Amino acid sequence: MRERPPIAQPFPGRQSAAPFLFPAVGILLLFTVFPFLFTLTLTLSRVSLVGGLRLDFGGLTNWIRLATDDRFWNSLSNTVLIVAAAVTLELLLGLALALLMNRPLRGGGIFRTVFILPMTLAPIAIGYTWRMMYHETIGPLNALLDMAGLPSVAWTSDRHLAIFSIILTDVWHWTPFMFIVLLAALQALPGEVIEAAQLDGTSGWQLFRHIIFPMLVPTAVAVTLLRTLEAFKIVDEIFIITGGGPGVSTESLTLHAYYTGFLSFDLAYGATIALALFLLVLASALALVRVTRRYQAAELWS
Amino acid sequence: MARRFRLIGILVGLALCVALLPVGAAGQGKPFSGATLTVFTQNPPYIAKPVQMFAPAWQERTGGKINLVTAPFGELYSKLMSSFALGTAAYDIALFASAWMGDFAGNRYLLDLTDRIKADAGLNWGDILPTYQQTVNWGGMLYALPIDGDVHTVFYRRDALENPKHKARFKTKYGYDLRPPATWKEYRDIAEFFNGWEWAGDGKKRFGVLEAFRRGGQAFWFFMSHAAAYVSVPGQKGNMFFDPQTMKPQINNPGFVKALEDWVALVKLGPPGMINFDSGDVRSQFAAGVAALALDWGDTGIVGGTDPKSIVRGKIGTIVLPGSPQVYDYKTGKWATLDKPNVAPYLAFGGWVCGVMVTTKNPSAAYDFCRTIAEPKNSYTAVTTAETGLNPFRASHFADTSGWKKFGFVEPDLGSYLGAIKASLAHPNAQLDLKLPGQARYLDALETQLARAAAGEITPKAALDRAAAEWEKITDGQGRDRMIALYRAWLGLPAK
Repeated sequence: MRERPPIAQPFPGRQSAAPFLFPAVGILLLFTVFPFLFTLTLTLSRVSLVGGLRLDFGGLTNWIRLATDDRFWNSLSNTVLIVAAAVTLELLLGLALALLMNRPLRGGGIFRTVFILPMTLAPIAIGYTWRMMYHETIGPLNALLDMAGLPSVAWTSDRHLAIFSIILTDVWHWTPFMFIVLLAALQALPGEVIEAAQLDGTSGWQLFRHIIFPMLVPTAVAVTLLRTLEAFKIVDEIFIITGGGPGVSTESLTLHAYYTGFLSFDLAYGATIALALFLLVLASALALVRVTRRYQAAELWS
Repeated sequence: MARRFRLIGILVGLALCVALLPVGAAGQGKPFSGATLTVFTQNPPYIAKPVQMFAPAWQERTGGKINLVTAPFGELYSKLMSSFALGTAAYDIALFASAWMGDFAGNRYLLDLTDRIKADAGLNWGDILPTYQQTVNWGGMLYALPIDGDVHTVFYRRDALENPKHKARFKTKYGYDLRPPATWKEYRDIAEFFNGWEWAGDGKKRFGVLEAFRRGGQAFWFFMSHAAAYVSVPGQKGNMFFDPQTMKPQINNPGFVKALEDWVALVKLGPPGMINFDSGDVRSQFAAGVAALALDWGDTGIVGGTDPKSIVRGKIGTIVLPGSPQVYDYKTGKWATLDKPNVAPYLAFGGWVCGVMVTTKNPSAAYDFCRTIAEPKNSYTAVTTAETGLNPFRASHFADTSGWKKFGFVEPDLGSYLGAIKASLAHPNAQLDLKLPGQARYLDALETQLARAAAGEITPKAALDRAAAEWEKITDGQGRDRMIALYRAWLGLPAK
């Protein structure tokens, strides 16, 4: 009997692994770590553009300016409102649609395809589409209201209403993402557990509340986390639909950073806003993960 | 055998010489053979179109190659500044707003073209209107070639303002004759009169006025066009932006506050949603016959007067910006009443210019391409062609009307259009747009507050006070003494 050759170890020593790791580490350093450090440096600098880019140490000037900038606080509160309202609605609607579609339904495949279409569109295209939808004189929404004998709505020119129009657009865009992921999670649930509960005479609500929902929580948390991180960066649709207006009533943090950094070319302060947004997103993600762990621990003990 | 190979070698050599002869002949007399120029400007069609129009002939004439790179208007400044600041030498030529000259020439990113322009007889520099010669001047040197003329004027529908029934109703309501507005008060009254009813006789509800209020949609220039008449004391310098002694902002003085109160009131005298309009909306809506009045650059006249789909073609009157019977004098701190309305046409934006980057490896070729767009014959073709985005800037552009008629303009629209632009540019109290380093920051800071006032978030006075405070910070950031020196030089005042 021939002896089998020994299986080669992929990385017998640290030295031989290094050449394989180097490209990935290099790319990470080049495209993630270096830009982050450069942004951090900018936030502590005074920038001069005379004859080329020159950075002088500026201490905490930009951070002090941030703390006293009412436009920053306004864009922060707008962003938080958009994220909280849009992600909550997307989760609830996505879950409702997933539950609806998780049963034998004639034409279910067509519905599923139609439901996920908005997610496949580019935000810029969605921005232009909804800008036309909201147009007060020639837009289809007001035309429908007019046909129903209802007064026109100032969808994007009323400073109190405009932010809700932005939320509506975001919900339309991203509910399909929640739907498709939650539907996949629902279809992956162990059927025998649900059947056993049904045999025990569990009502529909009890089945959802005590069996289905706890099993869906990890997936729901994951998609909520992903959507929250993404929603904090909302910019394209706002830029196209309202430009942050009327006034600054729909200006998000990213849009504020864009205007500051790339229209005013105030690079240091624009970088400070961007870094503040990063810290906010990081804190939100950590908080969401912590809350979820507590919830899961409580479920285990209940 | 060796002789045979030698003979074949000679024949092949001769054949190669013959084959290559046309290439050598083609290269002869072509001054920029092998030179590739990267030209950066706005996305087509507007402003990029002249490059596309003239590049093929230039390439054929010079042997050079044009590589056109474009971006949306909102990204032009940042992409150019990034390229300059990082020294990437990404472009050889840029077609950009003359208002950015302070940042670009002031920071030494552009090639000084003074000697080339002076030596270029075919350019006919003297034919370019003095106002536009000024737009490319920085510290006494010429850093670009003007390729466009920009000034705000007011457009009105003659069929509305000259309708006898409307005239009678207007007189009953306001106590004076309906006519093209001579003052901003008349402008407001006319907008109010025509707002929200079916005055065009086609059963559709029409509106009073069209202006751009959207932040990032040129609102800064629209507001400044209103303010100029209220603050520009004829013959006095430093009325519009800063006190030339201290760089204290003027924008929250009573003249500007009055202008902003007027401007904010107009939001309700236009179509619903006008608060989100940019200048593109003004043009398309005016051509669709939506309103009786519009304030804009010459493009509204072109779209309305030449587009086959326009329903106002042959019905457009154009006038110099209205005036104000009173003007605020920042030196005395008082309003002065004048015998006749104080008119101050505003050269909003100042026109597009063609500049050569200091980093280009082909400065002569780059200058030659810029002057190809700017020279008399080609520039006339450009300003009388649809979707170039270029407006008249040479005396000769106004003298010959044949191109304009071929363009689609009809009389009396054409005479009114050219007459109003010419009168605005020749006006002794015409006001130049701000041209200082940091112009974009000043503009954005003011425009943010204008948007807040227009939306009713804060009062006009509060908005302008906030903008003035921001302007002070920007000036301090740029170096106040340096800015005073640059501002005074721009105004043509002696150094302090």
